[in-house]
Amino acid sequence: MADAPARALGDVRVIDVSLSTAGAWTSRLLADAGADVILVEPPDGHPIRKLAPFTGDGQSIPALNFLANKRAVTLDLDDDQQHGLALRLIRGADIVVSSHSPVPLAALGLTFEDLDTPRLIMAHVTPHGMTGALAEAPGNELTDAARSGWASINGDADREPLKPAGFASSYCTGAAAYAAIVASLRWRDHHPEEGQEIDIAEVDVMAAAFAPGFLGSHYRGVALGRRDASDGLGGPAQVADGHFALTLSRAHFWRDAMNVLGLEDLAEDERYGTSWYRTLHKDEYTARVLEAMRGWKKMELFEELAIRRVVAGPVLTMDELRRVEHLEQRGYWRRPADAPDGPEYPGHAYRMTETPATLDRHAPLPGEHTADVIAGIEGDAR
Amino acid sequence: MTGPLSGTRGVVLTQAWAGAYCTSLLGMLGADVIQVEVRKRPDSWRGDYAAPLPSAIQGIPTAQNPWNCNPLYNAVNLGKRSITLDLADTRGIDLFRRLLADADFCAENFSPRVLENFGLGYTSMRAINPKIILASLSAYGHDGPWANVPGIGGTIEPSSGLSGLLGYEGGPPLHSGQMYPDAVAGLNACGAIITALRHRDRTGVGQYIDLSMQESSLAWAADAYLEYATTGRQRPRMGNRHHTFAPHGIYPADAEDRWIALACETEEQWRALCRVAAQGWAEDARFATNADRKTNEDALDAAIRAWSATQDRDTLADRLIEAGVVAAPVHNAMEMADDPHLRSRGIVRDIDHPETGHWPQMVLPMQFSRTVTDPPRHAPLQGQHSHEVLTSLLGLSTGEVDDLVRANVTGGGPPR
Repeated sequence: MADAPARALGDVRVIDVSLSTAGAWTSRLLADAGADVILVEPPDGHPIRKLAPFTGDGQSIPALNFLANKRAVTLDLDDDQQHGLALRLIRGADIVVSSHSPVPLAALGLTFEDLDTPRLIMAHVTPHGMTGALAEAPGNELTDAARSGWASINGDADREPLKPAGFASSYCTGAAAYAAIVASLRWRDHHPEEGQEIDIAEVDVMAAAFAPGFLGSHYRGVALGRRDASDGLGGPAQVADGHFALTLSRAHFWRDAMNVLGLEDLAEDERYGTSWYRTLHKDEYTARVLEAMRGWKKMELFEELAIRRVVAGPVLTMDELRRVEHLEQRGYWRRPADAPDGPEYPGHAYRMTETPATLDRHAPLPGEHTADVIAGIEGDAR
Repeated sequence: MTGPLSGTRGVVLTQAWAGAYCTSLLGMLGADVIQVEVRKRPDSWRGDYAAPLPSAIQGIPTAQNPWNCNPLYNAVNLGKRSITLDLADTRGIDLFRRLLADADFCAENFSPRVLENFGLGYTSMRAINPKIILASLSAYGHDGPWANVPGIGGTIEPSSGLSGLLGYEGGPPLHSGQMYPDAVAGLNACGAIITALRHRDRTGVGQYIDLSMQESSLAWAADAYLEYATTGRQRPRMGNRHHTFAPHGIYPADAEDRWIALACETEEQWRALCRVAAQGWAEDARFATNADRKTNEDALDAAIRAWSATQDRDTLADRLIEAGVVAAPVHNAMEMADDPHLRSRGIVRDIDHPETGHWPQMVLPMQFSRTVTDPPRHAPLQGQHSHEVLTSLLGLSTGEVDDLVRANVTGGGPPR
């Protein structure tokens, strides 16, 4: 039998005392890379367990996603004895992930100084960071979008700004925190006992991801805004069975797309060969292009354009994505190794040849591993 | 250089946003990132060699070369050195191979066939440097039926399911205002490369990283996929609403295009909002519990809109935050530059650029207590470090570099 692939973080233990989706995604990525992640949840369960939507048997779908691949232990951090167990867990670990702002963290007795473990890497993953005037202010995906610039550019100019869909800022923040944590682990490998604190703010991560729009606005002297809803090609356009994004940024994209759509006169018109002319004269052709697109089904149009290497994209639903042969052939979909009949998950964000990410465990029930974990602590003490 | 990756070197062929952002993050974390660019086919985010300068840059005496003054390029290439090499020339490819021999990692985001055409696929790279780590960021990954289908963030957003989730309730799918999948791919690839570096350090084994932008974006919609997988439901577009909490929205303030985001995730926050608003909502049976507020969300949003439209955005944001409500003003790019919190965090910094001058920029969104990072160097001018890198790392003489410039193998600006 072939050896199992190496686990990039198979030597690492993580204690997750965070209560947010961004913190949970951080530790989920660490778990996918092979770390033993122990989620410490309060007696009434991790807050994500209360987030809708729910499965038919009442499980939180966000919890299925964010808490998978971890072990879960219930500890009441306001109880002295259980707080002591949490401290022992953390002090024996490599990494602790926290979402608590400075004042509650101090009240819990879980500051880096309280933990007094120089080799520990402590990642603070919070809405506004551990410093600054807003460090104690509550925040979420909505306020991250508002303060980071993303809301100002999402949506239609004549309507309210939109936050990115779903848990965008939690996912991005988790990825940034993951990178920072592994960089710190690598540093500690080379400098034994040199742990440290890491401060990752959701609003910082989303603001940094907004960098092109931010600097572009300043170089132009005008803030980038939301789209003009009357620009029919400014977003996905209607096709026979849904919506489709056509990119006409290069001359050959334009020429080939117009030929595929049966608009040969537009394809051959030399004036449209330059990007600036097409942009300035959109109103001359947009209605005809939209009309021609409505006669196509999205996958057929995608395939015709892909052959010609025209950059384009069909708007796919989850049902349609599940039926994409490309993803199937790449082995993208997966189920937890310990729950082969459990729900199917999307794959990892990337593939690594030597240390592939794995989904080993189902999302734990509340406190599912409490007895095992506590026995382990007490065993260590003996 | 300081930062947790100090002492690490990348020789990279990244461009545009996803790849460039990945390697910029690595550079800002302390790695010596040498960006290799081909002058005949410059980074698309430098723009056309003959493009006009952005309006606020025009008139700045040092701003002479449009390809060094593109905000897209300058935004996502902080913390790097730039050299140019003609990889179609044997001298250029030889120099690249020599740089690669002493590198820790390489990254690229060409279409899958391009690197092989240069004779620089992963197998070839390993022959040069057996421990090399190579990360490829592409639209659909390096195998499978769509491997050679081209894509950019604006087309991956729809084909990964993200556009289908973004939009107003009952409205059509939308794209984000800029190409969000690029940022997702860049952040993920950064973590992947650092993971591979740690593994390489511990085992001596490098590896190949295949990042499909479609897959990385779809992984960022995993909860929506799980909703489909467990219930059969396609999640509808929800505007700014939340599955669980109400209120949760962006509401108008008292001036044109001034908006405030606010949400209540606890009863305590709801009571605080009621106190600040003083509109009698606390006594309204329709809004008594979170479940009631979700049931009557249209009426609740209408009531908040009517009230917020009479309020000054920033004053209201301050009052709500002070009261403990989840709230923030919707800032545009110009306002963000002056946001006291972002400034105090250091995520917005003024960066001096040799051609464009002094501008606020977004920097590394990670802070370390021990391995503190330096403020990043500005995005490099095209080929700014060619002489420095070729002489100090490869031992070329100044005369040899001058010969290469005359032969268009290196240099800056449009090839002659």
